[in-house]
Amino acid sequence: MLLAVAVLSGFVMALAAPWLHRIARSTSGWVLALFPVALTVYFAGQAGRVAAGEVLAVSIDWVPSLGIALSFYLDGLSLLFALMISGIGALVVVYAGGYLAGHAHLGRFYAFLLMFLASMLGLVLANNVITLFVFWELTSVSSYLLIGFEHEREAARQAALQALLVTGLGGLALLAGLLLLGQAGGSMELSELLTRGEAIQAHPFYAPILLLILAGAFTKSAQFPFHFWLPSAMEAPTPVSAYLHSATMVKAGIYLLARFNPVLGGTELWFYIVTAAGAATMLIGAYLALQQSDLKRILAYSTMSALGMMVLLLGLGTELAVKAAIVSILVHALYKGALFLVAGAVDHETGTRDVDRLGGLRRAMPITAAAAALAALSMAGLPPLFGFIGKEMVYEAVFEAPTAVVLLTGVVVLSSMFLLAVAGVAGLRPFFGERASTPKHPHEAPLSLWLGPFLLAGLGLFSGLFPGAAGWLVSPAVAATWGQSTGVELALFHGWSPVLLLSAITVAGGLGLFAGRSACRRAASRLAIGSRWGATRWYELALDGINRLARAQTRFLQSGYLRYYLLTIIATMLGLTAYTLLSRAGLPVPQGSLQVPLYQAVLAGLILLAALAAVRLQTRLGAVAALGVVGYGVALIFVLFGAPDLAMTQFLVETLTVILLVLVLYHLPRFATLSTRRERVRDMAVALLAGGLMTALVLAAAAVQPQLEVSSYMADHSAALAHGRNVVNVILVDFRGLDTFGEITVLAVVGIGVYSLLKLRIRKGDRP
Amino acid sequence: MQTSDLIRILPEIILAVAGIVVMLLGAFQKQNAGRMHPAIALLGLLGAAGAIAYQYPWRSLDPAFGGMLELDAFSAFFHILFFLVAALVVLSSSEYVAQERLASGEYHALLLFATMGMGLMASSNDLIMIFIGLEISSLASYILVGFRRGVATSSESSLKYFLLGSFATAFLLYGIALMFGATGATNLTEIHLALQAEQNTVTAMASPQLTPLVGPVPTALVGLSIALLFVGFAFKVSAVPFQIWTPDVYQGAPTPVTAFLSTGSKAAAFAVFLRVFMVALEGSAQDWVWLLWVSGLLSMVLGNLAALLQTNIKRMLAYSSIAHAGYILVAFTAHSEEGVAAVMFYLAAYALMNIGAFAVVSHFGNRGERYVEMEHYAGLGYRAPLLAASMTVFLLSLIGIPLTGGFFGKFYIFRAALHADLVWLTVLGVLNSAIAAYYYLRVIVFMYMHPAAEQIPVERVRPAMGFVLIFSMAATFLLGIFPQAVLDFASQAAALLLENLGNGVL
Repeated sequence: MLLAVAVLSGFVMALAAPWLHRIARSTSGWVLALFPVALTVYFAGQAGRVAAGEVLAVSIDWVPSLGIALSFYLDGLSLLFALMISGIGALVVVYAGGYLAGHAHLGRFYAFLLMFLASMLGLVLANNVITLFVFWELTSVSSYLLIGFEHEREAARQAALQALLVTGLGGLALLAGLLLLGQAGGSMELSELLTRGEAIQAHPFYAPILLLILAGAFTKSAQFPFHFWLPSAMEAPTPVSAYLHSATMVKAGIYLLARFNPVLGGTELWFYIVTAAGAATMLIGAYLALQQSDLKRILAYSTMSALGMMVLLLGLGTELAVKAAIVSILVHALYKGALFLVAGAVDHETGTRDVDRLGGLRRAMPITAAAAALAALSMAGLPPLFGFIGKEMVYEAVFEAPTAVVLLTGVVVLSSMFLLAVAGVAGLRPFFGERASTPKHPHEAPLSLWLGPFLLAGLGLFSGLFPGAAGWLVSPAVAATWGQSTGVELALFHGWSPVLLLSAITVAGGLGLFAGRSACRRAASRLAIGSRWGATRWYELALDGINRLARAQTRFLQSGYLRYYLLTIIATMLGLTAYTLLSRAGLPVPQGSLQVPLYQAVLAGLILLAALAAVRLQTRLGAVAALGVVGYGVALIFVLFGAPDLAMTQFLVETLTVILLVLVLYHLPRFATLSTRRERVRDMAVALLAGGLMTALVLAAAAVQPQLEVSSYMADHSAALAHGRNVVNVILVDFRGLDTFGEITVLAVVGIGVYSLLKLRIRKGDRP
Repeated sequence: MQTSDLIRILPEIILAVAGIVVMLLGAFQKQNAGRMHPAIALLGLLGAAGAIAYQYPWRSLDPAFGGMLELDAFSAFFHILFFLVAALVVLSSSEYVAQERLASGEYHALLLFATMGMGLMASSNDLIMIFIGLEISSLASYILVGFRRGVATSSESSLKYFLLGSFATAFLLYGIALMFGATGATNLTEIHLALQAEQNTVTAMASPQLTPLVGPVPTALVGLSIALLFVGFAFKVSAVPFQIWTPDVYQGAPTPVTAFLSTGSKAAAFAVFLRVFMVALEGSAQDWVWLLWVSGLLSMVLGNLAALLQTNIKRMLAYSSIAHAGYILVAFTAHSEEGVAAVMFYLAAYALMNIGAFAVVSHFGNRGERYVEMEHYAGLGYRAPLLAASMTVFLLSLIGIPLTGGFFGKFYIFRAALHADLVWLTVLGVLNSAIAAYYYLRVIVFMYMHPAAEQIPVERVRPAMGFVLIFSMAATFLLGIFPQAVLDFASQAAALLLENLGNGVL
């Protein structure tokens, strides 16, 4: 139960945050941080039980008839993520208090941040796949609010919308995938589905399920070819970037892959798609990271690369790879969170994030510099930091990949070289070397701004020196991902092996790239691969294409002219009925004799002539008169075939219509434009088809001859049942007395209506 | 006719009486004392709702008027929905009617008559009754659309609606005639039995005095009739390719009327659409499921694509209503009990959020509907925070974001479709909701992230309008957080509707 409270309390806190901010004012960051700290303590307290293999679960009915429950469970994987989310969350809340101090909407910012934190916790703790999706969408929404927080700038608005569109599209694909998964697996609960991997992989839905879920994971975790939103999202305030775009939200996709690994992983399809996307993202991200000069964009691309590496490892799916992936998650969260926060602090103190304009800050900002250096060394994968352990494990895993060892090793080593150079650019360059002049005169950042990076970077060093603690946290997570329990031994030194040699090569190559980075950047700008073939361009092309398509179809369908609307309706109706008629019955053949008495033929000829005249005449009055002739002709046919009552009605209606039309048309001008030849041909075709079809319908209907002899029933029973000899009277006042009553009522209502109309007239007349 | 028959149509009687009273007041009152009219209309709606509630439980009510009307849970669900929609429209149009100086008596009387027609549609179990109900509500709507007589676009849209609507109704009537010719029955249950037995003998069972039309059912006629009925209903729910009237009519109509058309009328049309196809024609499902499949997909795609381009909010919402008809058709295509329940739930959720959205549009539009362009909404988030916040909730719900009614509506629809193995349609539908997100979000972006270009006056929200906004917002959240009660109601009604058919008993 406490688990559910831990998740849902975040939303309550989010609501209370603006209010608390108003009370606590400048210390609000510290006060609000107590909440995530409490969560961290709670989750840390569960670590012992989880490490022992216990699983905490709680379930609250939500919509039982749809199989949706608010159910949560905590295993090793969830715990690792929950700790990162709440722990880093606490630091970020404190940081935001310093970074955005004095901002008019800081209270609202806290609210969004806590809402995001709670959604993220819900996402990693959810047991029900629909609950998972609900929280997944909530992270998208709250991240939209956070990215767009400084919405005065057009770029921020665009970035926020782009991020939401891409992740939203992925989210909906995920929903479809989860629904299919629930269908194939027969349950909506993750804990159930995890045990049914084989059945699901044999299901015909497996391929669509996998593709849809991967689409969700890849968009969220900025994998190629959906990666472009992440660098744009750097428009967000720095605490947001640090929290969402390195430590938590972008890892939701990784979480999803790890979570579903036992269910969906291990097949060829999984291997090829996931590994390929990961490898591509890793290489592209690392390469692009070195081309940037904005500190945050550098970090964004390097994050992309690191995420690519985790995806690649999960794609490999071997035990070693899974271990390496989980360790990498923790490694990356520690150093990248620190570096982002450092970037924010540097920006805050100097007024710029351009690495070319930064240098020698270590004297002005010693603590920040120390944190940055530690984080950068971890990112570079140098001993004795945690990053080194992580990288060694990655190399080992790739080395033992099932296929394509050389290719994969090449990709990973090359990317690592780039990342090492990037670490130098982002973490060391600004603080060492010569002092560069900056827009603002730098001072050491306040406690709230250096505490976060310092703690995170320090943890990176601690975990490198004493890997046992991290191993204890990571092993249950690996067990959950791998599907069976397994031990994780973390150590700095693994003995002399080819892997160590690869590390040495990486360091050498990385240093070379760092030294020659300006040359590298120049060469790259000449190639300009990114702007010509980049995914951003595809995104724009796609948006453009959809817009053009939309415009074309709207122009075609929504002309605004009534005549085209009518044409569409009639044409569709024709198509539908003609299809049914031809496929069911074939063309109906008239039955019976074709002998027509002369007067009927004359009448038919008259009707035809009048119809032709209505089409040909160029004055409105003439056409209406011709139509009147058609109507009277039809009425005469009714008379001839023994339906005088119908004929009477027809006569009345025709007369009235013609008079009304004439009254209205009298006021209209002559036809200004006549339709063109082509239009006339088209209209004629439609009209002939419609006429032909109606004839066919009449013939088809005439083949059925209902013989409902109501009249004899009335004649037989009127005296017996109603004691009346006048059959018509009996029908009116007895057999269908209610109808007559209704008709009288209608007349009365019409009378009232007419009266109110008349009154309207008089009232108008009253006015001078 | 028995007393129970009259009790069954008591809701309709109450509405008709209330409508006539309002109309008479409008005609005879000396001054324009329009204040009474909404009150009487609301009282009438309340009374009608009471008449429905009085007959609870609706499980075992015997049919009225010789099987022509059926007050079952399905019908009760829609009745309640219509009354709610009508009441919210009455409340939200009080500002509008005063501001545009509309003839209040006629306006409210027509609303009541339209609602009455919709009520009849929901409980009709006979093609003739369905036709009558449809015409009652349609005729009133035609007039309501053109109610701003001085405005050319309003008259234009009324004329378009009337002409195109008459065509569609004519096709519908033709379909009814052919169905009668084929099966000898207009009662839906009898049609079902005739089609099931492939024998045209039902008339004999219903009234032994008449000479029955004996013989096999001519399948060609049935097929033609299905096609024609489809045309008529698809027009009323504005599904592609009969959607063309929707944008022009929705844009030209007075905004509260647009809200009424897009929620109440649509729901009523779907109610008869469902009843006719699921009760009478379920046996020939293979003849019409593909029609729904194609039409549903096209409605989603064309509606969403066109909505992307709109700058006028009313027109954008009109296209979006086409797309929503498409989503509903996805559930309909499943033609299962779950599908019917999903349609019902979605209609309820859609009605509440859409009425809310149109209420905001109506209030903000100001005199003469001057401010209905998207750019007018720039910066609204800061000038009228509550108005903008409620609009945001409605738009998020229209997208289908979790914790709003729209989410569960969509979820339920796609789930029903998947259970009927409509994998492709589901996936395409889900992707369509992603396109839709773009144009709804654009409004939110305008409200919160764009600086206001010109100073647009925002009038104070009157209590009646405030109530509508708060109510629809609360209901949208309620359906998104605690949907169980409404879901249960819908699925029980759906089960009851289809239950007797499986056994082949009347």
